Amino acid sequence: MNTHRLKHARQLLLALTAALWLAGCASTPVPVAEMAVAEAAVKAASTSSTSENAPAELQRASSKLATARQALLNKDNEQARILAEQAQVDAQVAELQAQSVRSRKAAQESQDAARVLAEELQRKTVR
Amino acid sequence: MKNRLLILAVVAAGLAACSTVPDRNSALEQARSRVNAASADTQLTLLAPEELKRASESLRVADQAWRAGDSTRQVEHLAYLAQQRLTIAQHTASSRASQAITAGAAAERDGMRLTQRGQEADLAKQQLAAAEAAAQRDKASGVAQAERRDARVSELEMQLKALNAKKTERGMVLTLGDVLFDSGQARLLAEGSRNMLKLADFFRRNPRSAASIEGHTDSVGGAEANLALSGQRAQAVMAALVGLGVPADHLNIKALGEAMPVADNGTPAGRQINRRVEIVFAPQADEVSQR
Repeated sequence: MNTHRLKHARQLLLALTAALWLAGCASTPVPVAEMAVAEAAVKAASTSSTSENAPAELQRASSKLATARQALLNKDNEQARILAEQAQVDAQVAELQAQSVRSRKAAQESQDAARVLAEELQRKTVR
Repeated sequence: MKNRLLILAVVAAGLAACSTVPDRNSALEQARSRVNAASADTQLTLLAPEELKRASESLRVADQAWRAGDSTRQVEHLAYLAQQRLTIAQHTASSRASQAITAGAAAERDGMRLTQRGQEADLAKQQLAAAEAAAQRDKASGVAQAERRDARVSELEMQLKALNAKKTERGMVLTLGDVLFDSGQARLLAEGSRNMLKLADFFRRNPRSAASIEGHTDSVGGAEANLALSGQRAQAVMAALVGLGVPADHLNIKALGEAMPVADNGTPAGRQINRRVEIVFAPQADEVSQR
């Protein structure tokens, strides 16, 4: 008997949701700052050392940036912002991973050098 | 009644987004547990405290967004940022630990080198002392050694004198006279050959001996021709000696032509004396005697 009212309620809810959703879309500003920061971060991370020591991480950063640019073109500002923020932090991860690898190698070399020197000195004193 | 319940259900579903008790977000939970675990990591808290703090802050922001009922996408995004900042903290701590190791190893090497230099200085002192002691001993035995050397030299001289060699400032000189050669030729006569035998025997008995074979002529004939002739005679002597087993590298040839007369070229006798081959025995290497 009250199916009519039910139908109305459902339609109202749907309309309200749609309106809110549309409003959400329109109210997201173009992520200008986030994009600029992301571009700079990915550029800075794109060194030979980083691509050598953290290739996957660097790749992740640059492809997210590329997707962000695409989202911008598609007027999906929310997606673009999210991807840009992630691209920036991904670039930082890549840089620091590369640095960690380099530091570890340097530490290993310095320990090897110290050991070699110790052995040399041993030989000299034994003689 | 049923319709009212249905409406309520729909409204409730519609209001779900604004609920005060949000559904658990697995991405947030993952981030939360990772950051909590990291706080217990002493190396991390010690070496990258600022970076760890930043990660914790990011987690708090994610958590707030979740409580406020932000979209799942936003909450997951913020949780992702928190996780990445934690990874940054971990890499930073690792780099700093490695740098400390490098610095430590460098300091260790410096320390070892200092110790080594100290040891080298001690060693050098020891070696110097040992060398000085050895020098003292040598001095004592040196006198005995010199006496033995002199005895040996005298014996050599005696042997050479037996060959009619004469002692000069150049060394012992054996002179092979003109009569031992065919006139104007470089061929050794029998008499000359006998001398060669004696000489070869001398070299055999004194294997370290070395000699210079020097050819001379008188002043008759051209200087160039004489130079050539003197060279040929010296070569003949050398060939004879080598043929008798004297090592060639102990012998040296000099063609001196008419340049060094020992007698007056004005008389026939004098000229004959000048036509000669001299075999000069240089003092041996181990002889320290001043000649």
